[in-house]
Amino acid sequence: MKKIIFTLALTLMGVVAMAQNAKLPENISLKTLDGKTVQSSEIKNDGKPIIISFWATWCKPCNNELDAIKEVYEEWQNETGVKLVAISIDDTRSAARVKPWVDGKDWPYEVYLDQNKDLARAMNVGADVPFSFIVDGNGEIVWQHKGYQPGAEEELIEQVRSFINK
Amino acid sequence: MKRRFICLTALLAVCSMSAMAQGIMGGHVTGSIQLDGQISHRDTIIGSQDVPQKLLSNARADILYTNGNFSAGLRYEAYLGPMLGFRPDYEGQGIANYFVSYKKENFAITAGHFYEQFGNGMSLRAYEDRYLGIDNALRGFNVMYSPLSGVILKGVIGRQRYFWLESKNIVRGLDAELSFNDIVKSWADAKTRLTIGGSFVSKYESAVNDWIPANVNGYKVNLPENVATAAVRMDLAHGGFGLKAEYAHKSQDPNDLNNYIFREGNVLWMSASYSQRGMSANIQAKRVDNMGFRSSRTEPYTEMLFINYIPAISKQHTYSFLSMYPYATQSMGEMGLQGDFMYKFKKETLLGGKYGTDIHINASLITGLDTVDAGGRGTDGYTSSFFGTGDTYYGDLSVEVAKKLSSSVKFAATYGYVVFNPITEGHAGDNHHNHVVVADLTWKMNKKNSIRFEAEWMGSDSKYDESIDDKRAGDWIMGLVEYNFAPSWFVSVSDQYAYNDGIGNYYNLSVGYTKGATRLQLGYGKQREGIICIGGVCRNVPASNGLTFSLTTSF
Repeated sequence: MKKIIFTLALTLMGVVAMAQNAKLPENISLKTLDGKTVQSSEIKNDGKPIIISFWATWCKPCNNELDAIKEVYEEWQNETGVKLVAISIDDTRSAARVKPWVDGKDWPYEVYLDQNKDLARAMNVGADVPFSFIVDGNGEIVWQHKGYQPGAEEELIEQVRSFINK
Repeated sequence: MKRRFICLTALLAVCSMSAMAQGIMGGHVTGSIQLDGQISHRDTIIGSQDVPQKLLSNARADILYTNGNFSAGLRYEAYLGPMLGFRPDYEGQGIANYFVSYKKENFAITAGHFYEQFGNGMSLRAYEDRYLGIDNALRGFNVMYSPLSGVILKGVIGRQRYFWLESKNIVRGLDAELSFNDIVKSWADAKTRLTIGGSFVSKYESAVNDWIPANVNGYKVNLPENVATAAVRMDLAHGGFGLKAEYAHKSQDPNDLNNYIFREGNVLWMSASYSQRGMSANIQAKRVDNMGFRSSRTEPYTEMLFINYIPAISKQHTYSFLSMYPYATQSMGEMGLQGDFMYKFKKETLLGGKYGTDIHINASLITGLDTVDAGGRGTDGYTSSFFGTGDTYYGDLSVEVAKKLSSSVKFAATYGYVVFNPITEGHAGDNHHNHVVVADLTWKMNKKNSIRFEAEWMGSDSKYDESIDDKRAGDWIMGLVEYNFAPSWFVSVSDQYAYNDGIGNYYNLSVGYTKGATRLQLGYGKQREGIICIGGVCRNVPASNGLTFSLTTSF
């Protein structure tokens, strides 16, 4: 009897835990930098964690964050297999500038355009960038953070490590 | 018996729990909340007033429910005394936005409020900018269908939000986009990518009760009840080269903005770029002629009820003095040219030094059209030559050099030159010419602590004149110190002072705390009366003097 109840309790906990983390939204259209339409569900990393970072060309802290991560990105990737996906919320005024911007900055990230802010809205990003998420190997959003201050990338990678070790 | 009962109860409990988990709890409730507030006092020098309510606040909560392909959301807004700079029409509270949506990979439908953009937005852009107080969400239906890979069709019909009301006029639109590399299988991995698109948007507005006298005695303007905009666009990419363009044309649309003329409108926008690792160049050009497309021909607020969006093409500067005179798109007529160049001097080169050096140059020039008057109300209004230019509206040039001086110190120096014509804000007067110099240094003391210093100077040929009362006039200096303790705390102190030909001393102190997706920020100080612009859309913000706070969270 105890065994049954224990199993049931575990199942229940499992169900509740499953219901806790939201997933990365699916079926939201984004554009690649050369104009191809892709779905948000195509953002994948073979069961390894993904950092999703919302940014814009006109946003100083966003640029500082992506510049800072660039310095350590190779180490991060070798150690954790993490991939950074940068989602630009630039509107028509600056969207055409995103590809030259990313190349000029020599950023090694996967970059998408979210001009109508569909993904930003679905992920409750609000009006201010930068806004970062960690999506774990199961596609669940396990951590989020608003803003960037010099050095905050340390916490980001700490969090990535902690979700890998789980 | 008892044992069986317990078993059954437990089983039932689990069944119902898991049913709930899959049915209701299986979905996810997420959302965000933002609460902004302000206490402002009278200050005769900067021109701020006492606020009768003492406290002003804008607040909103967005709640989103998602379950597989289904989602539903609503937004509660409360402007209990709208903050300074927001239209008083926002006063009040209630559910401002709600929708249900079903989305699959090749099919999506939304009922209720939605935001949408066709192409670059020149025919239709329903969007929201909470800091400008703009929300022209459409309420109605939005459908997307992709019959085959590479073809996306969209259709919308609805009415625009207008503060707490809704415009009575109907907006409807169709859009098609063809991506050849997805349609033609053998082109899937081609180096050249081509996407073209077209859209058609129209509005219906009754003219039964409108009587607008024409320029010719005894005649009235015959107002069209249906006004349409059609647009075509392309996006071509070939390795590092990119070319994007959109052209939109609007049918006869006599309205308040264009003084009831029958001239048709058009806009042409182009962007060409070349980039490779560590180097990029981008040129944009734009010509706008009588292209304000709004769902109401008599709307007095200049930023409200726009159906389309004409972006400003000048760079959106981030330093205070470079953005002191921001450019607002003149949707009635302008020509613009903008260029951007970025280059990274590599590490261990003469100019790159140990850590590399980044250089960013930008220049833009925006002028009016070269027009010839051809009668007033009820006529074609004017003629214009396609390549002719009129008065200079705005011009800028900026050069930024950013360099890491050591492993812990980053430095950026910027020089900027801005020419600004006050007519773009609706005032007559001479053009202002401003020179701006900015020095920005960040010292990262260790993994968590950093300090940033920013100094700015602006020399201007404008002088403060009481009859015009533009408080941005004159020569300014500014200093800012910001201390960051990552990833949670920051404190910053700044002061802007008009040391010559101007008035005002604007000091500010702010403190912020962030934990995860929650952020609290407090500010105390003085804010200059001015124009804030986002994407070329601008709003006037009166002076304020006092406390501001902002709390945001996402869950």
